[in-house]
Amino acid sequence: MHKLRILVVDDEPQMHRFLGPALNAAGYEPIRADTGRQALAEIARRPPDAVVLDLGLPDIDGQEVLQKARAFFNGPIIILSARDREMEKIEALDGGADDYVEKPFRVGELLARLRVSMRRQAHQADAPPPVVHAGDLTIDIPRRLVTRAGEPVRLSPKEYELLVKLAEADGKVLTHKDLLVSLWGPAHAEDMQYLRVFIGQLRQKIEPDPSAPRLVLTQPGIGYRFMADDAARPGTG
Amino acid sequence: MKPDEPRRPDPDALLAEASKVGRGRLKVFLGMAPGVGKTYEMLAQAARRHKDGAAVLVGVVETHGRRETEALLEGQEVLARKLIEYKGRTLLEFDIDEALRRRATLLLVDEYAHSNAPGSRHPKRWQDVEELLSAGVNVWTTLNVQHLESLVDLVWKITGVRQRETVPDSALSRADDIELVDITPDELRQRLSEGKVYLPETAQMAATNFFKPENLTALRELALRRVAQTVDDQLLHAMRQRGVEGPWAAGERILVLVAPDNVATSLVRAGRRLSDMMMDAPWTVTYVERPNKPSPDAAGAAKTNSAFKLAEQLGGKTLVLTGDDLVGTLLEYARQNNVTQIVVGQSHRARWKALWGQALIPALAEQVKGAALHIITEEGQPDNEAPAKPAVRPTWTQWRGHLASIGLVGLAGGLAGLIDQFSRGANLAMIFLVSVLLSGLAFGLWPAVTAAAVAAFVYNFFFLEPRLSIAIGHASDVLTFVVFFGVAMTTGWLTGRVRDQSLGMSRRASAITALLAASRRLSASATREEAAQALAEQLAAATGGEAIVLLPGGDDVVPVAWAPAMKTMGAADLAAARWAWQHGEPAGAGTGTLPSAAWTYRPLQGVKARSGVAGFELKAVEGEDGERFVSALLDQGAVALERAEFAADAADAEALRRSDKLRSALLNSVSHDLRTPLATVLGSSTTLLEYEESLEKPVRRDLLTSIREEAERLNRYVGNLLDMTRLEGGGLNIRSDWVDVRDVLGAALERVSRRLAQRRVTRDYPPDLPLIKVDAALLEQALVNILENAIAYSPEDSVIELAAYEDRNNVVLSIEDEGRGIPTAELERVFERFRRMEESSDRGKGAGLGLAISKGFVEAMGGRIAAASPIHEGRGTRILISLRKEPAAANLAAANA
Repeated sequence: MHKLRILVVDDEPQMHRFLGPALNAAGYEPIRADTGRQALAEIARRPPDAVVLDLGLPDIDGQEVLQKARAFFNGPIIILSARDREMEKIEALDGGADDYVEKPFRVGELLARLRVSMRRQAHQADAPPPVVHAGDLTIDIPRRLVTRAGEPVRLSPKEYELLVKLAEADGKVLTHKDLLVSLWGPAHAEDMQYLRVFIGQLRQKIEPDPSAPRLVLTQPGIGYRFMADDAARPGTG
Repeated sequence: MKPDEPRRPDPDALLAEASKVGRGRLKVFLGMAPGVGKTYEMLAQAARRHKDGAAVLVGVVETHGRRETEALLEGQEVLARKLIEYKGRTLLEFDIDEALRRRATLLLVDEYAHSNAPGSRHPKRWQDVEELLSAGVNVWTTLNVQHLESLVDLVWKITGVRQRETVPDSALSRADDIELVDITPDELRQRLSEGKVYLPETAQMAATNFFKPENLTALRELALRRVAQTVDDQLLHAMRQRGVEGPWAAGERILVLVAPDNVATSLVRAGRRLSDMMMDAPWTVTYVERPNKPSPDAAGAAKTNSAFKLAEQLGGKTLVLTGDDLVGTLLEYARQNNVTQIVVGQSHRARWKALWGQALIPALAEQVKGAALHIITEEGQPDNEAPAKPAVRPTWTQWRGHLASIGLVGLAGGLAGLIDQFSRGANLAMIFLVSVLLSGLAFGLWPAVTAAAVAAFVYNFFFLEPRLSIAIGHASDVLTFVVFFGVAMTTGWLTGRVRDQSLGMSRRASAITALLAASRRLSASATREEAAQALAEQLAAATGGEAIVLLPGGDDVVPVAWAPAMKTMGAADLAAARWAWQHGEPAGAGTGTLPSAAWTYRPLQGVKARSGVAGFELKAVEGEDGERFVSALLDQGAVALERAEFAADAADAEALRRSDKLRSALLNSVSHDLRTPLATVLGSSTTLLEYEESLEKPVRRDLLTSIREEAERLNRYVGNLLDMTRLEGGGLNIRSDWVDVRDVLGAALERVSRRLAQRRVTRDYPPDLPLIKVDAALLEQALVNILENAIAYSPEDSVIELAAYEDRNNVVLSIEDEGRGIPTAELERVFERFRRMEESSDRGKGAGLGLAISKGFVEAMGGRIAAASPIHEGRGTRILISLRKEPAAANLAAANA
């Protein structure tokens, strides 16, 4: 079986210096691109299995690279971005990025996110799993049944819809706008407070400790994600 | 609306309540006449409050020597009165400044309607009270009902006494509480006969009439009704505020039509009374301007003006309508605005006009639909109500016109006499007509009329038979004389009018020219100070006197421009200027506020806000034209000042925007330059931790090297940031000593040696270079930053040339690289902070702080730094640092030390 090919796009040589060996050691084949143009050429030449894209590139803006790549590339794209650039992240997510990792990051976190993205990609190719497991929580979508440690959890229709939407995205960040539009319609795209209320209610019912959520994670200023995989959780070092 | 749905509170009522927050409360003790015991009652209640521990201050109280009243003052604090000198008399007045300063919980101010002595801050005491209330002081005061502005006519009709001291109704409406102090008319007459009622001497004579039982009963009714109405108002207000549907007159609207006649002000008062009766229905006073009719003369205009002013005082709206058809225009407006009550007046003159078929009232009555018509008639209204017309005293110029005209006629007479000698029967009348014509052309209408009359007389007396007599002999001469007189008068009249009109026109033209020039001058001023100076000069030129412009500074206004010369302002003038600024109304000479000031002060009201105050000598502004010109000038000045202010604001905003840009560049820099090395350190170390086993040894070593390099890079960057902070914060401590710059260059090179890679360094130093006195550490850091820059921007196998040499009084260090160079346009700015950040292709090469720090350090040591580029074949950058040699003597001294 051939190694999965990961294209790393960054203009900082130091980043390639450690990402190369790390990806190698994890069993992937790293491909290096220093500029946006190089990256697009590489994707067109031989599509990689996933792309790690830094937004600050010297020649073409990272957002533009993303947009151009999405015209002919369907695989996972993970953005590398600074913590204080919420708008940039939202733009990238809306523009088709699968996930983002904040610089500076642990290599373990980036690789976990890569794994989740590629797994989701594989699932989407077939069909979404009918039953989602996350810790002691089970979401049985065909039976519309949510249980925690075997006990059924009573959810309102909107709470259930929200949970399924998040769970199906499987680790992908859903922006506030994504969630609001798909649950309440385009007229409510800005009604952030709806989301806060329902997420709060949902956490009360499914989180072991609602004050320190581990399943439904807040991405401040951007949106929420449902994270079943502990390693991929944005870490604190 | 569903019955159970709560009604929405009236926003106006809530707003009125909100504006009261922070305001003092006003209580008025209202009486029907002097002597009912208002002051006594007020003091008695205040004494009770005082006993309860409230801080009561007696601002001013007239006890008129009554013992019972004076007894109540015992134990209460009484404010000392202020001495005001006026025309040799010393008046004791209420001291408002002291009252404001004392900040008592409750202040007693007797006699609400009192007129203050000239020279006081406000002409009327109720204005003092108003200021006190705005300052948050609670005030109690007393008032007799006959002093209410809207009742003046009524009281005059009842008692025959016209009140001069009045209080606008709005001043009473503002009261939070009104207490009626009431006794029966008989009791009051009893007290009067016992001498318990104090009356000022001037009122003694009228007193017997005033205190007639029927008068008192009528006044008592007025007072009772006024209080009842206030209670009503308060109830209504409370209901509106809580959103309770009330019994108020929905939809009643009153329209008062005034004309430039004697009933105008009576009509306004009638409108107000009607409004009171209709639960404060909105009322509007209007005047219809008819373009097809000559505009009213000055006296007429003054009448409508004072009616408008009164309407505003009484709380009505004012409006000027325009239309040729008076009745049509009025009714059109009434229909559009759902007017239900129309008040019109009928003056004596109007009755005359009615005979000529110009009747307003029958026409109105015929055409009005859906509105009630109220007709107020002029009833022997004494005309003295109108402000006394200033006596028109012909000026010397006018007299001179008349005299000169007579002279001209005399000349014509002489000439006619001469001609008469030579040719009897010549038409001498023509010569006199010429003199009349010339008088008209030269001196205007009235001198021409004089000339015509005199010419007729002279012609008749000297040239018509029998001569030297005013009798006329021949019948044909009678005709000649009559025709002559008629023609002379007409000619004089016409030429005079033509001359007056053209004079007026040219005056207006010159006013327009002056205004244009002023506007040009004002709009050319770039700053507020320039605009203020221009305005002061134009104002001085326009008024022919002195002028001053004050602009806001802090929370006060300060004089900034004078014309023609600087002048110190008196205390009264300063106070008037301040008043005009704070209240947005004219103050000083000729106005109702601080009229004792020498000049008039007008607020400069711009489009958005008040931009300052202008002061000028009132006496220099003559007539309506002058007034209009000054107003126009002030408007232009205000707009010019405002524009200058906007320009300054825009400049500030631009500076702010730039500093914002700098701040965001700093943030960018910090975010990128701190995070990139950190990302490498964290990434490399976690790679090592997670995959230590599976990594080859050289790879592990490379990762470790990368961690060290990035840590060093971070350290340099943090060092740069700290240096910058020290430079900007003034924390730079320079420790100068004698150093050899070659050593410093060597040390700097040593620090960057690891990053030099394949680059070669050449040194070109002379054998003997003088020592200079600098801070070696700062110079080294400056050089390191320049070298790092040279490394970052040059290819790996290039050459970096270092040189040092003497140049007159300086030692110069030169660092050259073979990089791509700096565009000439950018050379000036390479030493600016965060310069680098604007070009994304330079990312990763440093924060753009390095050269800025070098410059800061070099300059801190008294040196200079400059960049030159390109230097070889379109490539390369040279940085020169020039440091002053110390004077030889100092050098020597140091060597000997």
